[in-house]
Amino acid sequence: MKKGSVFGLIVIAIAIAIIISSYSNTSTYATFKEAKDSQAELHVVGHLDKKKQLFYDPAKDANYFSFFMTDSKGQECKVVFTGTKPQDFERSEQIVLTGQMTGSEFHASKILMKCPSKYTQDKLDEKEYKAKPATI
Amino acid sequence: MDTVFKGEHLFPGHLGQFFIILAFGSALFSTISYFFATTNKNPLDRSWHLMGRIGFMANSVSVVGIGVCLFYIIYNNLFEYHYAWAHSSKTLPVYYIISSYWEGQEGSFWLWAFWQAVLGNVLLWKARSWENPVMTVVGLSQTLLTSMLIGVELLGNRVGSSPFILLRQAIEAPIFKSSEYLQFIKDGNGLNPLLQNYWMVIHPPTLFLGFASMIIPFAYAIAGLWTKNYKGWVQPAISYSLFSVMVLGTGIIMGSFWAYESLNFNGFWAWDPVENASVIPWLTLIAAVHVLIVYKNTGHAYFTATFLVLISFILVLYASFLTRSGILGETSVHAFTDLGMFWHLVVDVIIFLGIAVTLVVLRWKDLPISKKDEETYSREFWMFVGAVFLGLSCFHLVIVTSIPVWNAMFGTKLAPPTEPIRFYNVFQSGFAFVITLLAGFTQFLKYKKTDTTRFFITSIIYFVFAALVTALIVYVTGIYHNHWIFILVVLGAVYSVLANAKILADVLKGKVKLAGSAVAHIGFGLLLIGAVIAAGTSKVVSVNNSGMVEVAGFDKVANVRENIMLYKNEPVSMGGYKVTYIGDSLAMPNHYFKVDYKRLDAQGKITEEFVLKPNAQANAKMGLVATPDTKHYLFHDLYTHVTAAPIKGEESMQGGAAHEETNDDKNYDPPVVHEVAIGDTIRYRDGLIVLKALDKDAKVQNIPLAQNDISVGAKLEIITHGITYKSEPVFMIKGGSGFDFARKVDDAGLKLRFSKIIPQNNKVEITVYQQPESKKAYIVMKAIDFPYINFFWSGTIIMVIGFLLSIFRRNKELKAI
Repeated sequence: MKKGSVFGLIVIAIAIAIIISSYSNTSTYATFKEAKDSQAELHVVGHLDKKKQLFYDPAKDANYFSFFMTDSKGQECKVVFTGTKPQDFERSEQIVLTGQMTGSEFHASKILMKCPSKYTQDKLDEKEYKAKPATI
Repeated sequence: MDTVFKGEHLFPGHLGQFFIILAFGSALFSTISYFFATTNKNPLDRSWHLMGRIGFMANSVSVVGIGVCLFYIIYNNLFEYHYAWAHSSKTLPVYYIISSYWEGQEGSFWLWAFWQAVLGNVLLWKARSWENPVMTVVGLSQTLLTSMLIGVELLGNRVGSSPFILLRQAIEAPIFKSSEYLQFIKDGNGLNPLLQNYWMVIHPPTLFLGFASMIIPFAYAIAGLWTKNYKGWVQPAISYSLFSVMVLGTGIIMGSFWAYESLNFNGFWAWDPVENASVIPWLTLIAAVHVLIVYKNTGHAYFTATFLVLISFILVLYASFLTRSGILGETSVHAFTDLGMFWHLVVDVIIFLGIAVTLVVLRWKDLPISKKDEETYSREFWMFVGAVFLGLSCFHLVIVTSIPVWNAMFGTKLAPPTEPIRFYNVFQSGFAFVITLLAGFTQFLKYKKTDTTRFFITSIIYFVFAALVTALIVYVTGIYHNHWIFILVVLGAVYSVLANAKILADVLKGKVKLAGSAVAHIGFGLLLIGAVIAAGTSKVVSVNNSGMVEVAGFDKVANVRENIMLYKNEPVSMGGYKVTYIGDSLAMPNHYFKVDYKRLDAQGKITEEFVLKPNAQANAKMGLVATPDTKHYLFHDLYTHVTAAPIKGEESMQGGAAHEETNDDKNYDPPVVHEVAIGDTIRYRDGLIVLKALDKDAKVQNIPLAQNDISVGAKLEIITHGITYKSEPVFMIKGGSGFDFARKVDDAGLKLRFSKIIPQNNKVEITVYQQPESKKAYIVMKAIDFPYINFFWSGTIIMVIGFLLSIFRRNKELKAI
């Protein structure tokens, strides 16, 4: 067999490996119920329940923020985020959380929110908040 | 009948819209003319060629005209235009008007078209015999770009989005029924504070110059296939590709520098889809450069070279589809939102993809594809392997970044990896290791055939040396705490640096023309070393583990508490520093927080002290948009970033002294009354108050004293957290009634009243109001340490120098032909 063909096969093998491992590394968009059932780390899309209290008191703990979110199926759950309250959180229209269920609370490691932009009120802009900094 | 609106300036918009149509029309005209100039068999008939040139020049003039009109509108605050209203404001400094061009999609399309026009003119001047076919492709690209700006209704769909649309056309609101609506539009929305950064003035133009310049190698490759001049396009394509790679690389790193400075991505690189989109074409084009050089020197790998050049530009278009169509939606913070151009962008990609595929298929049999196998011990073979690995690394980025595209196409519901940074880092590090290793030992090989024994000896000697250096680096920086793959990256990068340093040393002995590649590879190696160490060992300094009140359910949260609470003037120990929030100041529109850092030695003596001033935008409308401040050391940077703080709105800025006298007791805890004599001490929660003396001649501003009036001041000394303040509340009897004038010590969170004189026992009554903890001035901040980041920046600069040297060399070869 020619060297070129051997190399070609290796490249194809690596490409397939990339696809498979990327696929296995993806997570899914889920609901709170699914998060509770699977206990895995995943994404939940929903919106803030503005009637219930947002709790953030830096005097007590600067790294504790909790709120209630309703997921796409209408189920509500308490969410805890280890970090500061993102600015304009009250104005958010949609929230994407990354995290997992712990008991009856959803512990978010990342909050991505969409809120009506202050700059262009006819468009939406997004903001992302992470609980952890960039680490390898 | 149409309402006549008062105060609108419609002329600049009409003129701008005219230029847009002219730009589109002339680009189309130029493309068609150049097409016929290329297919024309009669070499004496130059009319098509001339018409193509005229068309392109008219296009260049119109594109500049669009820019001038837009600038006029923004500069003069003509808020009847949506673009000015949405992206600018009266307070925006002139140099940021430039940035407001690329806050919106329309402006950034204009920027792209502008650079493409500039580059097209360079080609008119330089391309000579290649002008007709190459300019056909550039013209087509220009036509599609300007079509994005048209913004006219066509068959019920709006084609493109014009920057000259009026506010009343863009937004529906009852206010626009009034003919005098402009009176109510006082100011624009202003530029996103994140873009108000000098890096944001130069990063987008550089990046777009890089993107725009990628049309040139693509156009040459297409021209080569089209005119069956299969070999002639390679040499100019090398020069232009090197230029693109250099400019795009610089642009990407500038963006990274901005991200690093403003911490908007939590570091210099976060694998955000928008960042990935800019690297994807860079990777394939850098691979293309290598394979083009292989082909030029050996005649091997023709198809791969062509393929990589073609795919690079198509990936540019794909990247712009990703970032501009809104498809990234839930996965990226930084992508543009959809402006209704989704299908327009798709069509753009498909047109160029279609042209490339069709031509390759049509010409397949004629392509000069070499049938021979490369020698195993030849430079070309391993350069080729390296290029393929660059391609694989790109492939990985494309696959994962495109997850929302797969979802849209196949109706799946995949979400990106939950820990994208780690995921990408580990994967891409594998590729980086292979690529840097190849960039190292391939230097010891020659084209065609190499003496194997010598090759093995040299590469192994260098490898052992590199391993030793790596061991040292790993030990000193502590990178071994991380995933093992990062050690491999450092090893590969060090090897690459050393091997290329040897080549550079040879350069000094006479092989000058090799300098460019050696320098560029050294730069790339250093860049990787810096990136891996900085990202791998950066740590949060402000880990919060003292003085916390437990909140129910809190201990279940596993994350480290990275934000630290600082009350004003109350020092906190943090990562070897004593940190104190000492005050804030306003310099519109920024709200600065002064944080004092002290490093103490064992004896408690101060060895180092500095003040950092992180800021946040104080504009109440925008909320907290924080910008960190950094202490730069040679080998590391210390970041301070305010994550939460009571932000002073515009009202309280104008407030100040005038509001002093209003009753604000509700801001304090219930008062505590103390009877004290001179010299007595009052204890309160945060310290001591000592009554030093009574001042019989105390004066209160604007209150003249009559004969029988008495005014006494209590000289108080407040000692809290090692700092001493003085205050003098006043008690006054005027016209027979008692008054007292409270004094505030804001820094200590106190309000003090001299409320009564008790002559019987020679005592006075001091009423102490103290602010509750929650009302005291505070900031919540985060401090991060990034070590060895300077390798990353210096590596970039060295790499750019290497590219420049290579461009000079290839240009010389171009002239020699």
